[in-house]
Amino acid sequence: MSRVFIVTVVLFVALIANLTWIMAVRAQWFQDRPENKRGIAEEMKIKRGEILGYDGSVIAGTQRKSGYYYRDYPSGTIAPQLIGYDSVTYGRSGIESQLNDELTGQSTDLGVQNWVDKLLGRRPQGASAKLTLVPGVQKVAQQELQGKRGAIVVLDPKTGALIASASAPTYDPANLEAQWARLSKDTSAPLLNRPTQGLYVPGSSFKVVTGSAGLDTGKVTPDTPFVDTGTYVVFGGKVTNYGGEVYGANTFTEAMTFSINTTFAKVGNLLAKKRLIAGAQKYGFYQTPPLPLPAGEVVPSGRYRKGKLLPPTAFMNPLDVAWAACGQENLLATPLQMALVAGGVANGGRVMKPYYLQEIIAPDGHVVQKAQPEQWLVATKAATASQLNTMMQNVVNVGTATNAALQGIQVAGKTGTAEKGDGTNLAWFIGFAPAQDPQVCIAVVIENTTATGGEAAAPLAAAVMKTALAQPSLP
Amino acid sequence: MSRRNLELVFLVLAGAVSTMAYVSVYAGRFREINRVSIIYGLVFVGIFLLLHVVERIFLPQADPFLLPITALLAAIGLTEIFRIKPSLALTQGQWLMVGAGLFIITVLIVRDHMKLDHYRYLIGAVGLALLIVTIVLGTTINGSKLWIHAFGFSIQPSEFAKLAIVVFLAGYLDDKKVLLSVPDRHVLGVPFPAPKYLGPLLIMWVLSLAMLVFMKDFGMALLFMSIFIALMYMATARIVYVVTGVGMFAIAGAIAVYVVPHVHERFAIWLDPWKDALGSGYQLLQSLFTIADGGIFGAGFGRGYLLFPNHTPVVPELQTDFIFAAVANEMGLIGAAGIILVFMLFAWRGFRIAVYAPDGFSKLLAAGLATAFALQTFIIIGGITRLIPLTGVTLPFVSYGGSSVTANLVLVALLLMVSNRTNIIRGGSDLERRKLAEMGG
Repeated sequence: MSRVFIVTVVLFVALIANLTWIMAVRAQWFQDRPENKRGIAEEMKIKRGEILGYDGSVIAGTQRKSGYYYRDYPSGTIAPQLIGYDSVTYGRSGIESQLNDELTGQSTDLGVQNWVDKLLGRRPQGASAKLTLVPGVQKVAQQELQGKRGAIVVLDPKTGALIASASAPTYDPANLEAQWARLSKDTSAPLLNRPTQGLYVPGSSFKVVTGSAGLDTGKVTPDTPFVDTGTYVVFGGKVTNYGGEVYGANTFTEAMTFSINTTFAKVGNLLAKKRLIAGAQKYGFYQTPPLPLPAGEVVPSGRYRKGKLLPPTAFMNPLDVAWAACGQENLLATPLQMALVAGGVANGGRVMKPYYLQEIIAPDGHVVQKAQPEQWLVATKAATASQLNTMMQNVVNVGTATNAALQGIQVAGKTGTAEKGDGTNLAWFIGFAPAQDPQVCIAVVIENTTATGGEAAAPLAAAVMKTALAQPSLP
Repeated sequence: MSRRNLELVFLVLAGAVSTMAYVSVYAGRFREINRVSIIYGLVFVGIFLLLHVVERIFLPQADPFLLPITALLAAIGLTEIFRIKPSLALTQGQWLMVGAGLFIITVLIVRDHMKLDHYRYLIGAVGLALLIVTIVLGTTINGSKLWIHAFGFSIQPSEFAKLAIVVFLAGYLDDKKVLLSVPDRHVLGVPFPAPKYLGPLLIMWVLSLAMLVFMKDFGMALLFMSIFIALMYMATARIVYVVTGVGMFAIAGAIAVYVVPHVHERFAIWLDPWKDALGSGYQLLQSLFTIADGGIFGAGFGRGYLLFPNHTPVVPELQTDFIFAAVANEMGLIGAAGIILVFMLFAWRGFRIAVYAPDGFSKLLAAGLATAFALQTFIIIGGITRLIPLTGVTLPFVSYGGSSVTANLVLVALLLMVSNRTNIIRGGSDLERRKLAEMGG
């Protein structure tokens, strides 16, 4: 009997020891875990700053209810995956998480009023964040994706400003908590921010990168002649064209215009692995694009195996190189990365650092922080960019992307159609306009379609670019 | 000081502590003390004073610690429930009254627990029937089939079955202990009692398994099996039963982890709650965060962050299985460890009663009840602190739940009866002895 009591004493001592571990030794560790959302309720007593569109309209507003401030969304659903959620239950994501210190007034340097509030121990008010996102363009991008799965990214190639970032399927941020169980389990992943987190086979849209490397290293010129027999045999395998087409004699420009795989496969092997991969790295592949978002919300593009990014030095045989030059093999890219490729060509070979924050406005109305566009990478020589620009204009004028053409505005672009092997395609379009003086660059990807990039993605790009170029002002 | 006066002193002490906690929560919530709050407090004090008076009349020599401990735990439970959702505290208060009524009825009808031994098969059958009825008619809540809806109430019969099974086992094992401890045959070199005597015990094992498979209730199955093993050991002093019993349950548990999806999920969450922090692991992680947030000294009654701004609890089921997370958050490590010591004090008194009891049945009954109480406490506190896999049982007297509080008040009544008889036989007045004899054990 006393033995059984001793056992119970041991069990109770174990309970107290474990409690001591949790409540004293590891208390701070538990508090610092990102899964711990207990601090959010306290921050909900702070008047959270608004998130504004480039036109000044309120994307995420603030509403007071019994002592706590809640988010409301007066403009409806505007890029919810990028803006992110601010939930007392599920925490924060996206810009809401990234700019939390500013939005809750905890950041330093938020104006005199904020400083005085802190000095007096008063609860500071949050600062507002004005984004480069243009709601007029964003809404059209979202409409174009309605009922589809995919993403559209629009950037200003000269500054890197993010003009639109649409991800479909989407959700209504106003009742996220009620829908959480469904949204988080939905296999179509509505919570995923496809523009920065979606990894897709880039297909022929990657030929812009291959072409850039080929031209830059002098391995080819726009007029280099090739002969296509429909099949390019290499290293015991073969590369064929989409739809089994045979093109015969073609120049490199024509190969780009009609997206001839065999020619690009040959260019790939002219370059060999090292120069091809180096060409991709110059556009930002193999590193995380510096769009400031929480860890994991922007992913790098490059060759992946089993969900992991391979190092640039990873082995490739000549057949691998041939297919990679056509954007296949193990290559995966985010829509943001492909928009940066288009932007690099549009901006004379210089890739700008992507950003979404136009300015931070302190509660007293002062602008305390303003966007400073910065160059990120030099992808090619200016001359190469100019040649690629012309080739991409051809693609839109007489090639695979005629559906992207706009009345009175010269568009440049490249399509991509990646066959997934289950009868569906990934349809791509990347491009920019106006070709002579690019104001916008774009990447469109559509999942689960039976159509090609030229059919399924190019028309959407045309509609979105047309809207963007008609805006009174762009960042 | 007589036992009853000592009890009164402790009750007053428990009352003082409870009042402070309650007033602190009430004032925090409503910013004033009004008549309603005082009436609530007075009703609570009235219930325990009534039970004290009943003891003075019918159980004069009963243990003086158990009732004040019960009062303290119930008061802390009620305070936290009130703090989480005031309307539930009213219901819980009513259940406390029902439990007090059942306590008094038990004392008045049974008078002497020795009588229970005569009806052990009937009581055992009732316990079994309660479980079978639950399996057949039960409703599934949170993946476990534990509840019966009847007359507008949700009843958890396993809480009562627990008591019935302890009474049965105490009687049965006391009767057969010699036969069980001196086996007349060996199986594979292991001493093995005649199947005739082992039969009922195998039934117990099958019953635990049935609870696992049909009720999907790992917690109660674990509790029943542990009570059974502890009682076997205490009756026979043979470690072989413990080894065999633990082994058999471990095998059954391991199979259940693979076969019963609900049990498998609980086990997976225990191993790694971080994997699906916003999904299946959410509740356990919120519990750990809430506990960790309490720190050494706690946030203070009514001051912890236990409710979202929309007044839903930060931990799902905070008022029932997870009430200890609320206690730890507001009372801190010191308070939480203190409460665990109070539970341990209760168990100690229970085992002490068993040790001093003059006969085998009383010993096993008291020890069985104390084991049940202590293990249930361990299973739930260990579960919500991730010491062991989480299984849904209530924290005695503290958790919200009518079946739990009423059944545990009957448990207290039974322990008090055993200790009263023991103390009278070992040193009561002649009058008390005569009274006891009249009641007829």
